[in-house]
Amino acid sequence: MTAAVFGLLLFGAVPIALVLVISAIWYIQSSGNEVLFDSFAQQLFAGVESYGLMAIPLFMLTGELMNEGGLTKRLINAARVFVGGFRGGLAYINLLANMFMAAIIGSAASQIAVMSRAMVPEMEREGYDRSFAAATTAAGGLLSPIIPPSMLFVIYGVLAQVPIGDMFLAGILPGLILGAAFCAVITAIGLARGFPKGGWMSRPEALRALRDCAPAALIPVAIVGGILLGIATPTESAAVASLIAFLIGWLLYGEIKLSHLAEVFVRTAKNASLVIFLVAAANVFGLVIVYEAIPQQLAERLSALTSNPFVFLLILNVGLLLIGMVLDGISALILIGPILLPIATGIYDIDPYQLGVIMCLNLVLGLLTPPVGAGLYIAAAMSQAKPTDIFRELLPFILVVMVVLVMLSYWPAITTALI
Amino acid sequence: AEDFRLGLLTPPQHMWTLAANSFAEQLAEASGGAHSVEVFPARQLGNEAEMLQLMQTGALDMAIITVAEISNRAPEFGAFYAPFLADDIAHAGRILRTDETRALLDSLPGTVGVVGIGYGMAGLRQIVGRGPLESAADLDGLKVRITPFEPIRDFYVALGMAPTPMPLPDVYDALANGQVDAVDMDAEIIWLQRYSDHAQTMLETNHMMFPAVALVSARIWAGLSEEDRAMISELLGAAIDSTIDSYVAQDPVWLADIAGTGITYTAVDADFFADATAAWDAIWSERAGDTLTTLRAVADATRE
Amino acid sequence: MFLKRISRAWARAELAAAAALAVAITGLILTNVVTRAMNNSIFWIDELAIYAMIWMAFLAASASLAHRDAISVTFLKEVLPAPAARWIDIFVDVVVLGFALAMVHFCWRWFDPIDFARAGFDVIAFQGATFNFIYSEPTMTISVSKVWVWMVMPLFALGATLHAVANLVARLSGAETAEAIPLPGDRP
Ligand code: NA
Ligand code: NA
Repeated sequence: MTAAVFGLLLFGAVPIALVLVISAIWYIQSSGNEVLFDSFAQQLFAGVESYGLMAIPLFMLTGELMNEGGLTKRLINAARVFVGGFRGGLAYINLLANMFMAAIIGSAASQIAVMSRAMVPEMEREGYDRSFAAATTAAGGLLSPIIPPSMLFVIYGVLAQVPIGDMFLAGILPGLILGAAFCAVITAIGLARGFPKGGWMSRPEALRALRDCAPAALIPVAIVGGILLGIATPTESAAVASLIAFLIGWLLYGEIKLSHLAEVFVRTAKNASLVIFLVAAANVFGLVIVYEAIPQQLAERLSALTSNPFVFLLILNVGLLLIGMVLDGISALILIGPILLPIATGIYDIDPYQLGVIMCLNLVLGLLTPPVGAGLYIAAAMSQAKPTDIFRELLPFILVVMVVLVMLSYWPAITTALI
Repeated sequence: AEDFRLGLLTPPQHMWTLAANSFAEQLAEASGGAHSVEVFPARQLGNEAEMLQLMQTGALDMAIITVAEISNRAPEFGAFYAPFLADDIAHAGRILRTDETRALLDSLPGTVGVVGIGYGMAGLRQIVGRGPLESAADLDGLKVRITPFEPIRDFYVALGMAPTPMPLPDVYDALANGQVDAVDMDAEIIWLQRYSDHAQTMLETNHMMFPAVALVSARIWAGLSEEDRAMISELLGAAIDSTIDSYVAQDPVWLADIAGTGITYTAVDADFFADATAAWDAIWSERAGDTLTTLRAVADATRE
Repeated sequence: MFLKRISRAWARAELAAAAALAVAITGLILTNVVTRAMNNSIFWIDELAIYAMIWMAFLAASASLAHRDAISVTFLKEVLPAPAARWIDIFVDVVVLGFALAMVHFCWRWFDPIDFARAGFDVIAFQGATFNFIYSEPTMTISVSKVWVWMVMPLFALGATLHAVANLVARLSGAETAEAIPLPGDRP
């Protein structure tokens, strides 16, 4: 019955955060656990009481300021110097920029938000289909939690009691493979469809483009350097980056008008709140599911099916894909990680790093799959394209992720080689 | 017949979780299958503050949590964190098993809305540093990661350090990237999370004990029969108490493991910290009142 | 429309406050970087910044209900004929109102103002009588009672109720065409 209510609300265009909250309320009422209502509002609050989440508004602010101050434009312009003349150049630029941003941002949802606003208008201007542009950007966002740093890996590392640093190492090869695979998808689509062809710049143009972008390149340097050198947490790096973006856009490029600053912060607050409120809602929804011990029952059934680790992982992939459809990645990981870990490592002797990367990739994939796919809807909201159109364009990317998942399941070495 | 829920922070294979699981089995058996306990490990039902809040409303029946979380609401429990109250881990275990410490639990229903069943343990606190730590002067001005509760904060403030509250998941990275210079932690986590990867110095200080407590929601307790209360008290009490023996046995092993990593390993005692203990006592003899006096007396009586 | 104008004005205030909080978060985190670089960390900054973020999120979320721009699945609505789509719009407005009222109810249960008043605003007497410990919950590092921080939840619930009623009334009375008043920060 709760599933029916969930479906009705969801397809009835009710805001997704409210779908989750109301389904949770419905379930509590129908299962006779009204005692949970006493702490319901409090749980909604507690779900977002997290330091790491602050990276979301701060990265969004950085993105806004980079756009407003003309930094994004100049960075992309500089990338054009290298691949702009190729057919589909901007699509590759998008992917490369996403891989680079993945080394900066730890959450797929925030990366998709930032990159959609930056890349989709650019690609559209050059003649790409808007949905394809949004899909490429959203797929690129999947790299964010796989290429370190990653909020999911941190959470998993704690659940599995494995060092987070090693967990980060485990993500590097899979992240690069995923990036290469996405590149192949773009090439294939380009061959079939015929992408717009850009032109190469003249030498003086190219030199000017590189010179113009040099200050803007400080932003990624600040973020990556801040984290690697240990000067700052990802959240703090984002704050520093936003300050640098502001100073460059205001003083150097002269494109940020102080009178526009209020609007930039309003937009940041609005967009960040969409994501944070969704996380809050996902958390109460998750609490109710956990409270009823639903993940436990699911995992028990899973383990009754096979004794072969590879088969187990394949079943796990399917199960996680289904769970990822209706749950947000972080809450899903928190819900089922503790249940699956002892089964996978104890009964099937699966390497915890391998399991971690597989789980996290599956669950971030869920960000892009309807009916509940925060990443999909964020990309839609930021690019003003329809979610259904974006999803159709995403299908080849999703298929490729599934292939990579099978590879990860079959060869543990992809995840463990660097550790 | 009741279906209870028991929450804890620790992962599935952790001693606390194992103790909870064995309590679940024993209660089912002792009640002839009438009662069952579903264990929710790994903060599935939220962090300790959230679990306490769920217990206060009666949505969660039981939990095993640290006394630290309790001390944020009932300051007299801060007395457990008196620096160098226990000489070693076995002594800490003896302190926790006295009638005087048990009696402290009596106030919990009124102050926190939970019934305290008994104490358990999570080792003693040690200090891990990124750089060399040869004297208390080296600690001055350093950023030290702490569990967020007041008694531990006051200890490090007294040492001239900058205590930085930080949840456990962030600690490894913070140590790796220099967000903190030192970490206050027990041997188990220091070993399991390999803090030695990014730390030069391990000070075996044993400066503070870190008790756990098994709790039942006072709202739920009020609705239980005398017979059920006795059964739960006995079985849950024995389960949580068993963690004391586990830690007494295991703590030296972890310490030896850490020393074996090649980290600069120094065992120090109260003298190392000079006046910090006195400064701490000045604050907490005020805040924890008689409880501090009681616990100091208990510690003396159980010293071997 | 009077109600709609109030809702709009309140949403504007919510967004202005949310934007100010976004500035505060940035400022606090930057302060953290600077003070730590000077070996002089301020230990309460993280917690305060987190609360600023939560206030920002819930205030802006309430405003997003006013503007009907929260993230939703709209493909069914898009393929339906106009009259059916209108029914979906009404359905959404009703559901949002139901959600808002439920939140008011939960906050009422949680803050329990009547019993608190009956206990003479005596926290100990109140929690002894109700087993509700809301008024004694501490914050970790900022030395105010947590209940002040939690106040954003009733604020959110009341704001959402105001917006939901205004939107539903406007929708049913057919006055929805007047909706497109541009707001600071609205996407073009
Ligand atoms: Na990343
Ligand atoms: Na999904």
